[in-house]
Amino acid sequence: MSTAVLTHDSQEHHGAPPATAKFGMIMFLISEGMLFAGLLGAYFVLRWSENGFPWQAGHAWPPSPDIAHLPLLLTSINTVFLIASSCTFHMGEVAVLKGKSGLGWLFVTIALGSLFVGLQCYEWWHLHHEGLWFNTGGVYGSSFFVITGFHGLHVAIGVLLILWCFLRQLFTRCFTPTHHIALNNVALYWHFVDVVWLFVLALLYYV
Amino acid sequence: MSATTIDAPVQESAPHAHPEHPTSFFHKYLWTYDHKMIGLQYLWTALAFLFLGGALALGVRWQLGFPGAEIPLIGRLLPATVAVDGSIIPGGYNMLVTMHATIMVFFVVMPLLIGAFGNYLIPLQIGAGDMAFPLLNELSYWLYVLSGVILLGAFFAPGGAPGTGWTAYAPLSSVAAYNGTPIGQSLWGAAIFINGLSSIAGATNYITTVVNMRAPGMTMFRMPLPVWSLFITAILLLLAVPVLSAAAAMLFADLNMGTSFFSPQGGGQPLLWQHLFWFFGHPEVYIMILPAMGLTSEILAVFSRKPIFGYKAMVYAMIAIGFLGFVVWGHHMFVSGMNLTLSAAFSVSTMVIAVPSAIKTFNWMGTIWRGSIEFTTAMCFALAFVSMFVIGGLSGIFMASTPVDLFVHHTYFIVAHFHYVLFGGSIFAVFGAIYFYFPKMFGRMLNEALGKWHFFLTLIFFNLTFFPMHNLGLGGMMRRIADPTVYEHLRQLQPLNQLCTIGAIGLGFTTFLFLWNVVMSLRNGKKAPNNPWNANTLEWTVPSPPGHGNFDKTPVVYHGPYEYSVPGLDKDYLPQTERAPEGARLESH
Repeated sequence: MSTAVLTHDSQEHHGAPPATAKFGMIMFLISEGMLFAGLLGAYFVLRWSENGFPWQAGHAWPPSPDIAHLPLLLTSINTVFLIASSCTFHMGEVAVLKGKSGLGWLFVTIALGSLFVGLQCYEWWHLHHEGLWFNTGGVYGSSFFVITGFHGLHVAIGVLLILWCFLRQLFTRCFTPTHHIALNNVALYWHFVDVVWLFVLALLYYV
Repeated sequence: MSATTIDAPVQESAPHAHPEHPTSFFHKYLWTYDHKMIGLQYLWTALAFLFLGGALALGVRWQLGFPGAEIPLIGRLLPATVAVDGSIIPGGYNMLVTMHATIMVFFVVMPLLIGAFGNYLIPLQIGAGDMAFPLLNELSYWLYVLSGVILLGAFFAPGGAPGTGWTAYAPLSSVAAYNGTPIGQSLWGAAIFINGLSSIAGATNYITTVVNMRAPGMTMFRMPLPVWSLFITAILLLLAVPVLSAAAAMLFADLNMGTSFFSPQGGGQPLLWQHLFWFFGHPEVYIMILPAMGLTSEILAVFSRKPIFGYKAMVYAMIAIGFLGFVVWGHHMFVSGMNLTLSAAFSVSTMVIAVPSAIKTFNWMGTIWRGSIEFTTAMCFALAFVSMFVIGGLSGIFMASTPVDLFVHHTYFIVAHFHYVLFGGSIFAVFGAIYFYFPKMFGRMLNEALGKWHFFLTLIFFNLTFFPMHNLGLGGMMRRIADPTVYEHLRQLQPLNQLCTIGAIGLGFTTFLFLWNVVMSLRNGKKAPNNPWNANTLEWTVPSPPGHGNFDKTPVVYHGPYEYSVPGLDKDYLPQTERAPEGARLESH
């Protein structure tokens, strides 16, 4: 980056140099990380203060036996889709680096991302049907829906961003082995959303 | 990412001449990518909010000084949620307090220090043509405006504006039946959330710009202290604001979706709000004072004609303050039933902050010590900043101690304390910085005679307003009460309350003097040269106001920013772009 030239163009709103753009994205993702840290931190407090730690006797979560159980198997399969989408996105980037269009990989990534959002929506609908919602099940329902809601929103925005990359590549072939910072940054965001999901999955579903 | 190494100058020289291209009104003033215009957008909007927030404060002071008396002139124009028959009702008093504080914190002090001066100064002082992400920058401004509109919209909600204080403690804020205005409170939450997005966008931009866009030779330790302070502030914003956003989202969900994050009936915890809020809220305190410290350091060095005393110590002290700011939030919650061992730990970590703060204070004194001081208005405000900050800082140490805080918590002693740091500190620094940078921003000098009047009246009325609050607080007057005269033990203190109110009215009118000065100087003030104060930093090497793109060609920096009165030089300053003569003894390297 020390050789990056701050050109007249970059001054004139055609975007920052790639390393600068990437650095900015990382800063933004750190901030996003703090958002989820705040949400999950609140979840810890709400869960542990009344019910004890998971390894303690008498720990009960969900706090009441009447609360609907989360569909663990479905969500686990869904997680595989999300992880796979990170891999396919990476393959798409590798393809672009090799001078190919990467459109196929991007399409698969969009499909997998949409599938994840769709299954999450189904899960919400299913739980709502079972009587678990924002306003039922006390803090159990509150934290589950708000945290998965925030995460799902991030995934949905990610899908739209990848779609935007896909359409740009389809019509203008703007991502080349030398110019692909927008694709890089969307990928960074997508991997970040993936990692957050692993935390959400472990803490809300498994533990 | 080799660009992130601390001392590497990262921007290769590249000529970028910028012919002024004609732009429409819309693209010049409303939707611009020029960091300077965005800075001015922030400046004007925040100054407008300053007058609004000040008017709300006068409503508060009127009610406390003369409870139940009809507000002169405008009393009968106020909405029924605030005043009936021209006099303020208790619920309306709470709304005034809440909106005054929220506006002053999120819509005045932060946008002035960080939005206005951050945007204007960072690229100019590090020798860059603009911010790293100009579009994000403009987006950040309009998100700020949007959040302001939403907040003001709360006044028109059924039930009126929220009355839960700027801290919006749950369950008062999170249960509709308690706060009486779920829509107003929700709008407050939404405004805070969107304002947070604006802050995060700005912070991302500032950090990236400082790390990646410095001119050749502008190493981190050659950066002017305002840039350092804004850089550290941006890191605090990036880490603290999202947590408030999370809390605001939970509050919004509790009010509108029936969740129970903060209500014990569903297993929720009211204290959770306090922890989340203050995890943001204490770094926020430093977010609002660090840039003020940076600007003051600059002004003190320039008008003492001396290098800043202990430049690196100043930087490390700010880093220490920023770091410690994250581990002291519990001192806002000593009376919340917290474990005493934990509160002792928070006491100690809080008192430790006095060390870097004292380093800064002594370094400011070392800077002006035996300097050739020029008492310009900017210098007067900077000196007042140090004095008022010391008063506010010392009362802060009192309440860091748990046993003392148990006594003064939620009294006017606290109100006195934070107004000394927020008004006597931050706002004094803002005024100083406006007098200092006005010539660069608008190409005209502010009137010094009017400026002196503005300064002395502000200083007098400020102390008249806020010093007696120490006595009121120690006398037992609680915060957030609409009528002190209903409490028998406070009746004897009522003259002090009236004194505060008279001071506040004086303070309000004095600010119009400032407005008058700004308007008249903009119209026919003395034309400003490029470098009216004989200062060293890069922004003074370009025309006033600087053109689009700032620098005709990328400046090259040879030494630190505070080389004043270098022995053996024929002038008492040495701009960063000028090489020092052979054998000159420089402070920096």
